[in-house]
Formats: sequence, C-alpha cells, structure tokens
Amino acid sequence: MRRLAAVASAVCGIWLAALVYGLPPQQARRDGRAVQKQIETVPVIFTAAPVYASLAALHGEERFPQGAQLMVLWGGRTEPLVAGFAASTDANVSFDGKTVLFSGKQNAGDKWGIWDVAVEGGTPKLVLAGAMDLIRPLWMAEGRFVYARRAAGGFALETAGLDGAGPLKLSYLPGNFVPDDVLRDGRVLFESRFPLGAGVTASLSAGAPAEMFLVYADGSGVESVRCDHGAGREHGRQLLSGDIVFTHGKKLARFTSALAEEAAVAAPAGEYAGDVAEMPDGRWLVSVRRPGEKNYGLAVWKPGAAGLTALAEDADRDLVEPVVVAPRAVPNRHPSGLHDWAFGNLLALDARQSRSGALATAPAAVRAETMDGTGRVVSLGTAPVEKDGSFFVQATGDQALRFILLDAEGRTLRQEQGWFWVRRGEQRICVGCHTGPERAPDNRVPEVLLRTTTPVALTGRALAGSAAAGGH
Amino acid sequence: MKRLLTSGAICAAGLCVGLLWQRGMTEAYAQPAPTPEERYASPLELLLSPDGRLLYVLCQGADEVRVLNAATGVVLRTIPVGHVPRGFSFSADGRRLFVANSWDDTVTVIDTESGRVKATWGAGFEPSSVVEDRAGKTLYVADRIGNDIAVLDAATGEEKLTLEAGRGASYLTLSGDGSRLYATHVYPNPTPHRTPPKSEITVIDPTQARVVDRLTLPDVAGVFHVAISRDGRLGVAAELHPKNLVPLAHVEHGWAFVDTLTVFGADVGRSVEVPLDELDRYYALPFGVAISPDKSRIYVTHGGSDCVTVIDTKKMLSYIRAHPETFAEDLSASAHYVVARVAVGKNPRGLVLSRDGGRLYVANRLDDSISVLSTRENRVIQTIRLAGPEKVSALRRGEQTFYHAYAFQGQFGCSNCHIDSTFDGLQWDLEPDGFGKDIVDNRLIEDLRGTEPFKWNGGNPTLVKECGIRTETYFWRSQNFDDLRLTDLVVYVRSLPSRPNRFRAANGELTPAQERGRVIFNRVVDKLGQPIPRSNQCGSCHSGPKGTSQKSFDVGTGKAVDNSSLFDTPQLMSLALTAPYLHDGSAKSLEEIWTVYNPHDRHGRTNDLTKDELNDLVEYLRTR
Repeated sequence: MRRLAAVASAVCGIWLAALVYGLPPQQARRDGRAVQKQIETVPVIFTAAPVYASLAALHGEERFPQGAQLMVLWGGRTEPLVAGFAASTDANVSFDGKTVLFSGKQNAGDKWGIWDVAVEGGTPKLVLAGAMDLIRPLWMAEGRFVYARRAAGGFALETAGLDGAGPLKLSYLPGNFVPDDVLRDGRVLFESRFPLGAGVTASLSAGAPAEMFLVYADGSGVESVRCDHGAGREHGRQLLSGDIVFTHGKKLARFTSALAEEAAVAAPAGEYAGDVAEMPDGRWLVSVRRPGEKNYGLAVWKPGAAGLTALAEDADRDLVEPVVVAPRAVPNRHPSGLHDWAFGNLLALDARQSRSGALATAPAAVRAETMDGTGRVVSLGTAPVEKDGSFFVQATGDQALRFILLDAEGRTLRQEQGWFWVRRGEQRICVGCHTGPERAPDNRVPEVLLRTTTPVALTGRALAGSAAAGGH
Repeated sequence: MKRLLTSGAICAAGLCVGLLWQRGMTEAYAQPAPTPEERYASPLELLLSPDGRLLYVLCQGADEVRVLNAATGVVLRTIPVGHVPRGFSFSADGRRLFVANSWDDTVTVIDTESGRVKATWGAGFEPSSVVEDRAGKTLYVADRIGNDIAVLDAATGEEKLTLEAGRGASYLTLSGDGSRLYATHVYPNPTPHRTPPKSEITVIDPTQARVVDRLTLPDVAGVFHVAISRDGRLGVAAELHPKNLVPLAHVEHGWAFVDTLTVFGADVGRSVEVPLDELDRYYALPFGVAISPDKSRIYVTHGGSDCVTVIDTKKMLSYIRAHPETFAEDLSASAHYVVARVAVGKNPRGLVLSRDGGRLYVANRLDDSISVLSTRENRVIQTIRLAGPEKVSALRRGEQTFYHAYAFQGQFGCSNCHIDSTFDGLQWDLEPDGFGKDIVDNRLIEDLRGTEPFKWNGGNPTLVKECGIRTETYFWRSQNFDDLRLTDLVVYVRSLPSRPNRFRAANGELTPAQERGRVIFNRVVDKLGQPIPRSNQCGSCHSGPKGTSQKSFDVGTGKAVDNSSLFDTPQLMSLALTAPYLHDGSAKSLEEIWTVYNPHDRHGRTNDLTKDELNDLVEYLRTR
C-alpha cells in the first residue's frame, strides 16, 4: 500500500514504467487471483468474493456467505488491501484520499467490525466493533462516518466519530437500512425495502423491493429520493455531476436533479452490481457480469460509449464494490436544528394532495399509528384536518409513524403505504400525502396555523411517557 | 411626486453618501478608503452599440461607463457618471446614452459620439432604470424609492409627471416597436397581513405617458429585468417566488424560494409563472433576461448561482399549453424546456445579445468580468477582464459571500431576503420559534453599527452570531462558510451605509411639518398637560443617533402568536422605506402603529394627537 501512495503522488521512475506499460497478466496474478485486463491511472480497491448476495443485507442476511477480500488494483498488479483478515469488504476512501475505512473480520468467527488503514500502508486499526455486525462504513464530514449496525430488528443506520465517540442512531424503524453513499449535500443515501418499514410484517414484506432513501446526518428528514417507486433500486452512488447512479433490476439507471423519475442509463449489455465509481476523468468503473460470464468483473465505461473496457476479472470470484483511491470533495456538514424535545411536530399543508391524484373527498381527520418491533400496529389518536387539508400534530419522536386520512365517518380515505419516523425535536412539514420531492409548497398560511399554533398531541397512551409537555 | 431636493442638495446628498461609504470602508479595514482607481468595476448592465461594435459596460462600483471594443474587450473610453449607477440605455437615435444614478437621484446624459457628459438631470428618488420613447421626446425613469416612473422631457430633463408603479420600481424595457414600456419592481406591493405577496408588471403606453395595464404577478416578490421579443408577442420577466408564509422548517423541495419567470404576451395568451429550478439544485436570483432575435432561446442570469440558464422557447410554450393549471411549484417542469446551464463569473447580472444572436455578453458584477457565450454551443468562449484592483479584499469577499446562494442545494443566499443589500418587504415564519409563531418582519441592514442586538427578540448580540451559527442552522440548513468567510461577510454587512435620506434637507433644516413632528417626538407633556412618563416618551426607547436604545420593551404590540411581548427597539434610519411596520409587519403604515396598534398608549403617548399631528410625526420620522 505504501507503494500505492508513492506512485499516486509522484509518478516517476519504475512506477512510471509500471503506469505506462503495465505488467504482464501472469505477474499480476502473483499477489491475487484477479486478472488485470487494463492498466488504469488511479488505484482501485474492490471486493472479491466467491458469492455475492447483493440484497442479503436488506433481509438481515450475509452478503458474502463464503467470505470476501478487499483487493487493490494498481499498475498492473492486484494485491490484498490488508493482510491477516479472514474477511474484508466495503472499502471507502477518505476525502483526502489517504485512509480507507472498511468492514473486516480478523477471524472467520468474528462479527464484522469497522477498521481503517492508511493508503500508504501499515497496520489496520479497529475503529468500531460490537456484539453484532457493523458494515458499510462511509466517511462523512468532520471525521465522522455512517454505517449499518445489526440489531434485533435488522440493520440500523448509525453514525459515530472515528474514535467511536458520539454514536448516533439515524433510523428508527424495524427493518434493514444500509448506507450507500454520503451525498455532497450532507445527506446519507441508504437503501431499504419499499415501502419503508417493510420486512417486519409479512404483509409488507411480500414482494417488497429494494429502494433508496435519504436522511440527514442527525436522522431527521427521512424520505424517498424519488417517488416513482417500482422495481428494486439499489447500490446507488453519487457522481460529480450530482446524479445518483444505481442498479434497477440488473440495469444501470440514475436520478438526475431535473427529473422526478429515474432515467435509464444506456450502458452496454450486462448485469450490473451497482456501486459505480467515477474515475477522475469522468469514466465509470462498474462491476458487471457480461453476457455469458459467470462472475462479476470490473470494467470501465465512458458514458455514451458502445462498449465496456474490461479492467479485471476472476474466474472464481465476483469483483464488486469498486472504489477509486483519489481525493474527492468533502460533503457538507449538516447543522442539526433538532430541539431538546421528546417529540416531533408535523405539519401537513394539504393532505388532499398526492402524486397519485388529489382526494375527491375532503378528509375530516387524520389518524397516526405506530408500530412496535414485532410489527404490532398501535393507534396514536386522531386530529382534525382543516378545510384546506392542513393539519398540525405532535408525535413521539424516534418511532415508527404513519398517517391515515379519514372521512367524517371515520372511514379510511387514504393511508401511507409504509412508515417513516420523526426525530425527537424535529419539526417537519409536508406539502401533502406523497406529493413527491418535485412538489414545492404553495406560499400560504395553512388554515390550521390560523386556528392554533399548538399541535394536537398524537402520542398514544402507551407511549405517552416519552412525550414531554410543551412545545416551542 | 414632490421633489424635496434641489440639484444642489442632490450633490450634497451624494457627497454625504460618498463620505458615509468611505467611512464604512475605512472603519472596516482601518486603512485609507480606496481611491477611485482602486475601486472594483462591478459591471452591472451591458449595452451593445447599434452596429454591434462597441460594448458599453455600466460599472456600478467605479461610477463609470466603460466603452469596450466588443470583439477584443479593449477599453476605448471611460466616462464618469453619478454615484451607484443602476441602469442605462441609448436614446432612440443612438446619439445619447442615459445613465440612472441611484444614489445621486440623477440621470447622466452622455453624447455617444464624443463620450462627454452633456447634462445631469434630477430624476426622482433612486433612479434605477431609464428609457427614452421611440419618438425621442420623452424619457422614463424608474425610481426605486419613489415607487414611480418619472416622465421627463427628453430634451430638457424637465419632469412632466410621474406614473405610479410597483413598490421599488426598478427596471424598464421598451418593446421593439416602441408601443409599450414595461416596468418591474423589486419589493412586493402591499397586501393584507400574512397573505401571499403580489407584484406587477406596469405596462405603459409611452406615446401617451399613460399606464394602460398592470399585469398581476401573484406570489411573486422581487421582479427584475423584462425582455420582449422583437415581434412584441412574447414577454419574460425574471423574479423570485418566496415561501415566507410557510414555516421555514427545512429547505429542500423549494421550501424557502423558487426562482421563476413570468411569461406573457400574445404567444402565451396569459401570464404564466414558469419555474427554473430542479429537484436537487436551485438557480438563485434570476436577474437578467434576453430573448434571441429569432425567439428560439431565452437566456436568464442567476446572480446567486453564477450561471446562465438557456431555455428552448418552443418547448417552453408547448409545456405551457399542455399545462393550463399553474405549475410554478413543480420542480420537475424545467426539465421540459431548459436546455443548458452555463457557468459564468460571480454574481452575473445584466446581459445582452449580439444583433445576430450569436453571442451573449454577461456582466459578472462581483469578479469584474464579462463572459462571452457562444449561443450556438452554449459555452463561454471568451472572458473579458475589466481593470480594477487585482487583490480581492475582505470587503469584496464578504460581498461575494452575501450574494452567493449558500443555503441547502444552493436555494438562496443573504441577498434573496436583502435585495441589493436592503430588505424584501416580507414577513417570515421562522421555525425555531414554533410554527405560526413569532412572525417577523424583515429589516433593512444599512448602517447597523450601534443597533445591536439583532433579531426582533434581541437574541443575537453580534453580527457574527446573526450571520454565523444562526443562519447556518435555521436558514441555510447546511454547512455555512468558514470563520474567515464569515468575518468577511460581517465586514461587508457592517460597511453598508445608509442611503441618502430623501426626506431630509441637505442642510439639516426641517420643514415646518417636520419640525412640528420633532416637537411631538420629543415632548414630555401631553396635550392635556399631563406629564408623559419617561419610559413612554418616544425618545426614551428610540434614543440616540440611530433611534434605538438597543434594549427590548413591551409596548403592547405583541400578538397571541408571539412567544414574548418584549421586542428589540428598531432603529429609525430610513424608516420611510421599510413599510410595513412593527415586529410582525402588521402595521401597513406608520400611522397604523398608533391608530390601530396603540390603543392604550403603551407605544408612546399618541392617542391625544390629531390626524394632522400624527401626520407631522410621520413627516419627522421620515427624516431619520
């Protein structure tokens, strides 16, 4: 690894030769089984695994049931990133390009823990370990990182400092939540199953595909990236342009700022494993199983080009989760504005509005429900909905929440498909029920705030102990 | 409109402002004020000579017009004009150039052949744009503080009449055939408290000097340039669409601002608000707008996002026709008609197309450059650097920070709410105080030294806190600037001087009405002969040179939705400009402060005063 940095910082002498001419494939095999197909100008780290179950974590299962090994590809050579590990994966390079966070097991029987190692080389350092698995570490601003911690209810999102200090849970639903990337606006891109909260109850789990969501670094503002939900979307990463590229089924697709729906990526034929890495020159480093091939290999694709350029292949292992060893922009820090309350306040401007069409019948009330770890649904009470569709409620923070709109007779007019949470001390507003991120609010005072500035407490008797009095 | 200042007074006021400006600069840096040669050019507006060979650059920071070879960018001539020029245009015959000098209250008349100043005319309060009619007989001047359009004799500069325009009238555009003049304004027109803002495009028949229409722009506050297609069938105005009535709990999804155009004219058949933003990215402070000669493209500068948006007109019109309902709040709409976003320099403002439409010139105000775009390729092909200080000073960096959209996803910046470093005439519902609670009127930010603390509740003792952690947490909802940039920003904000007071004579003498008002302001005994307690005398709270004791008081103006009835005493400078009044903007006028919101004389003893006496008090307060 020390060599790696030396070359990256000063391309000269023998390393220049390696860079320009590369090494013969047989020599590349010396330190690892992956075969270098193409010489690249930046080091690449990837995971090699006999079996890669890309969606396993969303079911609380092991993604690499037969182990995994982080490899470095550079100058015609592949070699293990770290020695002495029974398993390693999930490489994520720091913003200065000098340190790699990864998930590792020193012994096969260990739980996954989070480690770091300098790109220059040296002894890996255990950053965080627990009684359960910790996976998918991703650097955040100010020396923190986000990861998924396996708990009784599934993988939960957490952040912590590099010294393990200040752990903060970001997800507050049963189910599995796995971080994909930290966007430059500071939010965490993560994947779970759609609708959110699926996986706990059989009814929700049935056919629930993977989907990508966003959350601020303090756990507030959880929402779908886009609301054109459909087939599974997974393993997204943000490009320099701001687009998020991911796999939809086995094809590549992207979210781009201007569009409310995903856009197809006209990539060459193949099954893509997601986790696209952008090279400094704008080409994409992809993990792809090309037609007729057994395993995922690494390839480089220039967007718009007709073909892929193979970079590395392994006859026995999938090569996945590539990352480029290079400096990159530090994402914005999120200045948390959470108040010191046990509850959150939620304002809907017009609950009648929805992406799937406005309600024909005006709702008279809204019922809030929560769900415990076993999937048992508990009503938290109802609140009136104003004529303009607005309502203002207070709900206990850090727990599952969903709303059901009711008519004057208490019949359900519409209910949320899944669940979300509001953080303790969070104040949040939605335009309507499922209006989508493309819908900005109308500029008007909602009628409910003209009537009262005190939210209706929907904290539920069983949970009332955690709801503090007061408000602002 | 009453003209309170003679031309001599105008000059004196200009000198006064100049001194104030210099004072701000001097104190900010503890070093000598810059000489004219050291001032940044700050190009604001552009014109091309009729033959397209000369590029005229209105340099607001240098108080001059520079004439450049449009092809090479070489400066051919520099013409000094008045202070803080804001707009300029050619006469109908092209032989004269008119410049609106906003802080001098003058129009400079320049002979384009010789480049010499032929005349300087008084032209209302804060002239911001000037246009001559096609016949060459009448000059129209938009006055920002006057809220009107002054109509002058184009030969003599004599004011013939004024036309009522929108609040903060600022930009004028003449249609290609000269039959219509369109005026916009930067502050919203008055509306009932806590109702959506409204603006207008004032349509004038310049042949008759008569307002013939007022196109209503609902939900819009802050309208800038208008462009009219050559055939006169398509009009486009750049504008802001604030969300001041919705609690500012978060920023994503256009929660604070969306940036829009209003499109109007025969091609559209109605006025339509067209959004420019995207779901995850915003194009803040749309300012300049141009329509290509063949009408196929519309170009918009974004002062807060340092770019130009290129719109396919045909696609936009198709989208409008397919969407008869409003789509101003649909952040995905722009994908259907925006064809390019072209990065340019800092704080791009005015723009002008070459006659054949092949080149677009963009004035980058805060880095003293002109970007030249190829409209065929939608890319910058040349950058013209204007002469000025090489070094970017702390003050300049602070100004750049002020005008850049730092909020989450680049949605807005300081200047969204403090338009041209002033205010926005709006009241906002900020999140930390509670939804629907503590509604706050936005305040002018000039000459702030000695007015601390900030916020209506006096909660922020310093500008560092006001502009730093508070802004980051509750406005931007995103990482703020670093400490050095914050310091620069504070330097800039603290340097902002008060603009000339148009209601106060240059020699300080008060009119009889103003003097009567001053006596009322300072009185200690009411009309019944009863002593007015010291704490209830105007000058007790509104003390000192800036009219604030810098303390908070309960004067009975608190509302049920306020968390506290204690409010910071606002300074009184430039009070005439900043309606509405009180902490929440509930008083539409100064009179209403006492006639509606002071029933128990807790906000000073005023219920013994007659209407005329209140008028006198108002007249005096306008001189502060």
